Amino acid sequence: MGVAMPRELSVKTIVIQGLAILLLCAIIEIFAGNVLERMKEQLAVTLPGLILAIPPLLDLRGNINGALASRLGTALNTGVIEPKLSMSAELKVNIISSMILSFLASATIGLLAVGVGTLFGITSINVLGIVTIAIIAGVVSGIILAAITVVVAIFAYVRGWDPDNVTAPLMATIGDFLTMISIFLVAILVV
Amino acid sequence: MAVYSLRRILWESYPILVLCAVISLSAGLILDSQMGSIKAFPLILVMVPPINGINNNVCSILGARLASALHMGTVEPKLGKQKVLRKNTRATWLMSIGVFWFTSAIFFGMALITGMGLSRSIMLMFAFFAASMVAIAVTMGCTIGLAFLSYIRGLDPDNVVIPIVTSIGDVMGVTCLIIAIKIVMGV
Repeated sequence: MGVAMPRELSVKTIVIQGLAILLLCAIIEIFAGNVLERMKEQLAVTLPGLILAIPPLLDLRGNINGALASRLGTALNTGVIEPKLSMSAELKVNIISSMILSFLASATIGLLAVGVGTLFGITSINVLGIVTIAIIAGVVSGIILAAITVVVAIFAYVRGWDPDNVTAPLMATIGDFLTMISIFLVAILVV
Repeated sequence: MAVYSLRRILWESYPILVLCAVISLSAGLILDSQMGSIKAFPLILVMVPPINGINNNVCSILGARLASALHMGTVEPKLGKQKVLRKNTRATWLMSIGVFWFTSAIFFGMALITGMGLSRSIMLMFAFFAASMVAIAVTMGCTIGLAFLSYIRGLDPDNVVIPIVTSIGDVMGVTCLIIAIKIVMGV
């Protein structure tokens, strides 16, 4: 971001470039929605309060990985990171920081969901269950996503895709899907 | 000299992520308070990730483009007639209309296949489309405002504007979706 590349500013170009990636994202999001719908039993009966944590957990994944993709895009464009799959110090700092953030923020979301749930009188809230689901789902999807983000960012750079318009939305969407799957699996296994 | 500092990334990102979590939690609270409608009409759950995800993607693209344009000086941080700003907002509108029509059409197909009947499937398609248009209009307004504000204040749009915009997008998406489904489908 902030790289002074001269961009063709025609409405048509922006729309055509953007739509291609957005239509793909829409399809992936509908799959994520289907996973959420399959959890309706857990959400309504066995794990009341879990639904509170779902929008923030999906959002968190998009934020961490969108920012990671964006930062990698800038680093690749400015030559700070080389477009090859080896662990440089800069790449390592970026990945480790996104892992630590995933853990800390997922734990915070779990606790906040429990706190807010208690405050608003959601009965029989399963404190341990919700915090565990938030942390495991957040960290597991975070590890998978960080790896995919690095590969996609490098691939996109080599192909000349714009990190702002392509990589960040794609990563946010893949993140939504993987997070939904992780929450679903952990919810079934843990509770 | 290291370009990135672990401490700096964590220190700058964590407070914003918590603020975003609090905003997004209100979207969760709204969903929880509507559990009755969701039980009666579980398709609402299928629609939540798409309306939030697409809304957030479209506004993230706009936010990123505006941040770049502000740094290059092609957009100035003020409202009023500006060619580049107008082109960007028009492109964002056209993209939203395209992608949300596509998504609404898929929901129409899904409703029809699951035996909802033609007229109710069409109503569902329009409900989703209307909800997404209202949500995107409000979120786009917030994106432009926050992009200007962050540029004036010198904040990094990647770490600040886009996370906050996507959280506001979650609340808008869920709110508009629930209201539209309640009015149109009567659940």
